[in-house]
Amino acid sequence: MSQEILVLCPFGLDAGLLSKAAELLPGRVRAFVPAREQAEAALYGANIIHTLNCGEIVDEAALADLLAEKLKLWGSSIVLAPATIRMRNLMPMLAWKLDAGLTADCTALEMAGSDLVQTRPAFGNSLMASIRSLSRIQMATVRPGLFRPAARPNPKAEIIPESCHIREQRLRHVAFQPFSQGKPLSQAGIIVAGGMGVGSKEGFRKLSVLAEKLGAGLAASRSAVDAGFAPYRCQVGMTGVTVCPRLYIAVGISGAVQHLAGMSGSEKIVAINSDPKAPIFGYADYGIVGDWETVIDQLLKEELS
Amino acid sequence: MNNILVCVKAVPATTSVQVDGQYRLKREGASLQWNIADESALEAALSLKDKDGTVTVVTMGPPKLEAPLQDLLARGCDRVVLITDRLMAGADTRATAGALRAAAKRLGPADLILCGRRAIDGETGQVPGELASALGIPCVSNVEKLEWEKDRLLLHRRLETGVEVLSARGPLVVSVCEYAYSLRLPGILSMRRARGKTVERYSAADLGLTAEQCGLKGSLTKVTAMESKFPGLRNGPKETDPAKGIQALRAMLREVQP
Ligand SMILES: Cc1cc2nc3c(=O)[nH]c(=O)nc-3n(C[C@H](O)[C@H](O)[C@H](O)COP(=O)(O)OP(=O)(O)OC[C@H]3O[C@@H](n4cnc5c(N)ncnc54)[C@H](O)[C@@H]3O)c2cc1C
Repeated sequence: MSQEILVLCPFGLDAGLLSKAAELLPGRVRAFVPAREQAEAALYGANIIHTLNCGEIVDEAALADLLAEKLKLWGSSIVLAPATIRMRNLMPMLAWKLDAGLTADCTALEMAGSDLVQTRPAFGNSLMASIRSLSRIQMATVRPGLFRPAARPNPKAEIIPESCHIREQRLRHVAFQPFSQGKPLSQAGIIVAGGMGVGSKEGFRKLSVLAEKLGAGLAASRSAVDAGFAPYRCQVGMTGVTVCPRLYIAVGISGAVQHLAGMSGSEKIVAINSDPKAPIFGYADYGIVGDWETVIDQLLKEELS
Repeated sequence: MNNILVCVKAVPATTSVQVDGQYRLKREGASLQWNIADESALEAALSLKDKDGTVTVVTMGPPKLEAPLQDLLARGCDRVVLITDRLMAGADTRATAGALRAAAKRLGPADLILCGRRAIDGETGQVPGELASALGIPCVSNVEKLEWEKDRLLLHRRLETGVEVLSARGPLVVSVCEYAYSLRLPGILSMRRARGKTVERYSAADLGLTAEQCGLKGSLTKVTAMESKFPGLRNGPKETDPAKGIQALRAMLREVQP
């Protein structure tokens, strides 16, 4: 039976994931994206593009119902979505309806015959599991921003507009309060992370000024969050978010395994710590032994000049 | 009146885990604790329940969870249910959701079902959505605050870029963030009320589930390989002269900045 991958991005395209799908099954990729991202979907390798044209969708369960119906017509054998908070809610609902096995937050995908081999970390990154689906439809969510987008222009992509009529609103949107810091940590290219060594809220304010200047995300260790230096959404590690930026700058962080669990996948790691024996240095590509504030002040000064 | 069902999971209390020949987490040796986000869901339920409401707790796991379940009665939960059966070992999220659905059906209608947003061992966060779909009700994930607004619930949901506030009408499933609520201690009054109450036990047969619907057999995903992967040592150079260190850091920043 011929295989097809459906890449579901109803809330926003993940170009890297689409590129990955096009690499796994060239020429057999279907994408479901907001109408405004039609051109981008064609650029990154989709052959059939369903463009969704409708207002804000609040109820992911209702969208899952709609997609389950559509999938019966499309017959896609593999369904992938970025592991964003909303898609990690929608995909399990869809998987149940399709009687499909679902793997969460994969960090690698590979075809073995007609099987999709899904690799994901478990238990705070200390185990890597390879998983296969036993169902006809194989489904996975994939860590966002993990794969680099690779252009494969497809000017002949078939465009199919989709509308959605979600009648019953069991859920109503009331308000949205954006975080002051714009970029989600999971998608930041550079992250400045502070730990107990930073010592205070004022110290973190300095880090956040630097982060802003660098266009970086601000993160923290759990101890720093517990101490009230930074909000919980900044927490990286086993009980926080997992990140994989191109550069992770760990400032005054000792390098506990639970913290490493959330950032050891970073492309480059730089540690700034006054204790030359701090474990974090072992996991860093480059270390600066010294007082964090001296280093950060100097960096800020250079940024300003 | 409101009836709230809370689904909780016991997870190994350590960060070093072992797997058996079938790539299942070895749970026998490890001491267990309630998953941290599930404790948050429990407290949310206890603080949402009104005078005539009830909080029922359901978990799937080994018989030794009886004592920690009993402790939840002392913390103010009204009913505690243990789904336990050898047939259920090795369940993936789908088989787990199937068992929870069967238990939820048997326990009678709930106005609200609360779960933790993810467990620290498997970290999939998939059970709430699968359970909701199985019951034909919506699911809102990643919620850090819940409050009643007449007969509707106001949900504060943490997304990547901000907090979305939703108004919901039950029945629905809500998954709650870790640290959003901290579980209360046993109280004298609850302890008195808990006296005489026992843990209700369900087997697969009690829930009308066949061996094919449970555990490893009832799962639609299969772990085919597992390797332990401790973060690799990088042992990069260490610089003690801040000026030189900053220079090197600058160079790395230039490389990654657009
Ligand atoms: C179940 C469980 C889950 C956990 N989950 C997480 C998690 O998700 N994320 C997480 O981060 N932690 C987590 N932890 C906590 C973890 O074990 C550590 O306690 C925590 O990461 C330590 O944070 P830290 O490195 O900021 O603080 P510390 O370990 O106190 O380290 C502070 C560091 O700052 C350095 N320092 C001090 N002064 C200066 C200075 N002036 N200049 C430069 N450096 C300085 C010190 O040398 C030290 O290395 C968890 C723990 C448990 C038990």
